[in-house]
Amino acid sequence: MYPASMYLYGLPLRSYNGVNGEKIATALAAMSHFANPLATPSQLYQRASASSLPQDLHEAIFVATQCLTQAAGRLLQLPQSVTAQANVLLARYWVVDSPMAHEFSDVSAATIYLVSKLGPIPRSPRDVSNVYAYLASSNSALFSTDEPPKNDPRAYYQSEADYYAFQQRMLSLEARILQSLSFDTHVALPHPLAITYLQTLDFLSQPRTTVSLRVIQYLNTSLLSPQMLYVTHQPHALATAAIYNAARDLGAKMPEHEWWEVFDVDREELGFLVVAMRSVEGWMQKLKDEIPTFGSEMLKRGMIEDELKKRGLPVDGGDKAAVDEEDEVMRMMDSR
Amino acid sequence: MSTKPKSRWANTEEDAELEAKLKREKEEKRRKKAEKAQKLEDEERRRKAAATAAAAAATQQANGANNNLNDDDNDNDPSRPSKRRKLTPEPASSSSSTAAPTKLLRFDPPSSSSLAPSRSVDHYDKLNDIEEGTYGFVARATELATGRVVAIKRLKLEPGDPNGLPVTGLREIQILKRCRHRNVVKLEEVVVGNDVGKPDNSIFLVLEFVEHDLKSILDDMPEPFLSSEVKRLLLQLASGVAYLHDNYILHRDLKTSNLLLNNRGLLKIADFGMARYVGEPAPKLTQLVVTLWYRSPELLLGTRSYGAAVDMWSVGCIFGELIAREPLLQGSNEADQISKIFELCGFPTEESWPSFRRLPNARSLRLPKQSPLATGSVIRAKFPNLTTAGASLLNALLALDPDKRPSAKEMLEHEYFRQDPKPKPESLFPTFPSKAGQERRRRHEPDAPVRGQAVALGDVDFSGIFQGRNKEEKGAGFTLRMV
Repeated sequence: MYPASMYLYGLPLRSYNGVNGEKIATALAAMSHFANPLATPSQLYQRASASSLPQDLHEAIFVATQCLTQAAGRLLQLPQSVTAQANVLLARYWVVDSPMAHEFSDVSAATIYLVSKLGPIPRSPRDVSNVYAYLASSNSALFSTDEPPKNDPRAYYQSEADYYAFQQRMLSLEARILQSLSFDTHVALPHPLAITYLQTLDFLSQPRTTVSLRVIQYLNTSLLSPQMLYVTHQPHALATAAIYNAARDLGAKMPEHEWWEVFDVDREELGFLVVAMRSVEGWMQKLKDEIPTFGSEMLKRGMIEDELKKRGLPVDGGDKAAVDEEDEVMRMMDSR
Repeated sequence: MSTKPKSRWANTEEDAELEAKLKREKEEKRRKKAEKAQKLEDEERRRKAAATAAAAAATQQANGANNNLNDDDNDNDPSRPSKRRKLTPEPASSSSSTAAPTKLLRFDPPSSSSLAPSRSVDHYDKLNDIEEGTYGFVARATELATGRVVAIKRLKLEPGDPNGLPVTGLREIQILKRCRHRNVVKLEEVVVGNDVGKPDNSIFLVLEFVEHDLKSILDDMPEPFLSSEVKRLLLQLASGVAYLHDNYILHRDLKTSNLLLNNRGLLKIADFGMARYVGEPAPKLTQLVVTLWYRSPELLLGTRSYGAAVDMWSVGCIFGELIAREPLLQGSNEADQISKIFELCGFPTEESWPSFRRLPNARSLRLPKQSPLATGSVIRAKFPNLTTAGASLLNALLALDPDKRPSAKEMLEHEYFRQDPKPKPESLFPTFPSKAGQERRRRHEPDAPVRGQAVALGDVDFSGIFQGRNKEEKGAGFTLRMV
């Protein structure tokens, strides 16, 4: 069977057969647009073992911050293509740097600011600041509490000093994130690829909007997965797994043989992703059960530190804490 | 960046320092050896890690399965496969089960793009300055580990900028990282200064070193380029530009000083400080682009939407410059520039450029009553040595109407390149004494526009225009008046 993706990328099969070496070289170079840098197994291992943070807290931080980023993207009226890139950049950054090094909402703000700045719809630091102040406030619609949110602008009013301090933190994080990722801001999203794949599959003989919507829902949900699917798997695999899941949900009839191989995904990878995508919902439920405050207020670094102390675990890195203390003093001086 | 040049002829005062350096280098070597050993160890650990990860994945899968929809058909349930289990039943009498496993095509990301922090600029040693551009300083440097010579460009940062890192610099990095073409300068990596964590930490682009830029060659060469050489240069330029446009990139500052030429006749497009991606949705573009002498008439007239044709106009200007050995249209300001353009290409008419009257700045132009004499282009007359095909290409590139200019791809197919003399092979190009190797490059041309500068023609210095009015009337038979 021929990898049909060569066709999908608009390449003549002839060049795939090696008739034209130069052509295939340029074609493959062009295809790097469809690929993402991934975390290596050793990076993932390091991240899990070197950090003093227990697995469940790691996951809670990841999920909460990715949800926050999505909410901010909506309020900033950014298209999902931009917000999703911010989600991916955030996940990449936390592969390289510890989540405990900075306040989570600041990292989220810095990624969304950076991505929007490089894209077609830039947002000003002031807009970003306002949105995050609102989301963190008691008025925030992001967190469901028992009583309906009362609209009290005083809760998210920001003084000039607050704004300045936020902007300073965000901009220094912007530089830090870029340096940590060696300035590689390219994110290939699986969404357009998934639609192209659906077209070749004739939309699984289902209504186009229904099946496309379900596929996109799976892809967007995976952005929140604490398994960090977007930094461990390439977009084509994510797209194929989302289609597989959508097909099962809708009861669509799929080809008998291994159709995913046409999209260059092997059985094992597909199996892993299919399960991972389906498990995000349960994961969220588990987090809500285990951490009572999860989803009812903004997760802050201080809360994680308190939790660590409660469990009798060391709070991350003495070195970093020293730097942070310094930051804290600076911040206090700034806000005065 | 360490500013001390690594001298091979050290003075006595520097002996001590040299010794220290040697010592450091020795240590560096020792460290590398240790690193190698470490790497082997890492390899071992990674293998173990992969196994752990796989085990973890298995547990996660088990976890996830709890939350899954119940399936009636257990045999066909993909949500809880054991590690090696098949996800769908093989057709019973399948012959494919005996067939060799399908070879899957993998698009591995380039090895350069892994998730790792930028290296420090200390891995490089500065040799000498080359030039100071609009968006940064460029220096020649050598990588300490390999001795390879590179060009290092330092991004200009404004420490107090409320918008953080300059978007132009970030775009340049973003674009160059994705570009791989023989006629586009290669970005090797991005390195940073040592103030990690500070927002104003220096950022350096490590670019491949190319010996010359076309501008200084043109200034210094005793004889102009042969037409076979001009053809090869233009072909390379067009193929680089075609690559950029194919990838939704507008360069927006093409000019001879941004075109580099190495000693093997290979041309490379450089300086992407003005470049940006233009995809869907079409972003809002600034009109403040392209160095004045290479700026297209639609930009000068303040168009709000433009495209690849602005680069093609610049290519036309470069074409003329390669032949004449001096910039084709040297306006002193925006108004002067557009009058120079009309002098050369004739006035726009409803036929030659149907929509030009609707451009914002076109209202401030007063053109003479249509006289057929003044509407024609004088390009043919200005370049008497150019063949008919050459003149037709130059005319097409310098078409006032952007829609009438050929695309870079169309340009590559032009008759001009098929005629004798044939384009000269790159390997037969003459070599030139390198300027960049030793001295600063000289610059005597306007800089690329800086963001935030005024754009309207109405904002330019009026006195110059009125002083030059008599001359203009004589020269081109029209007046340019601001109303």
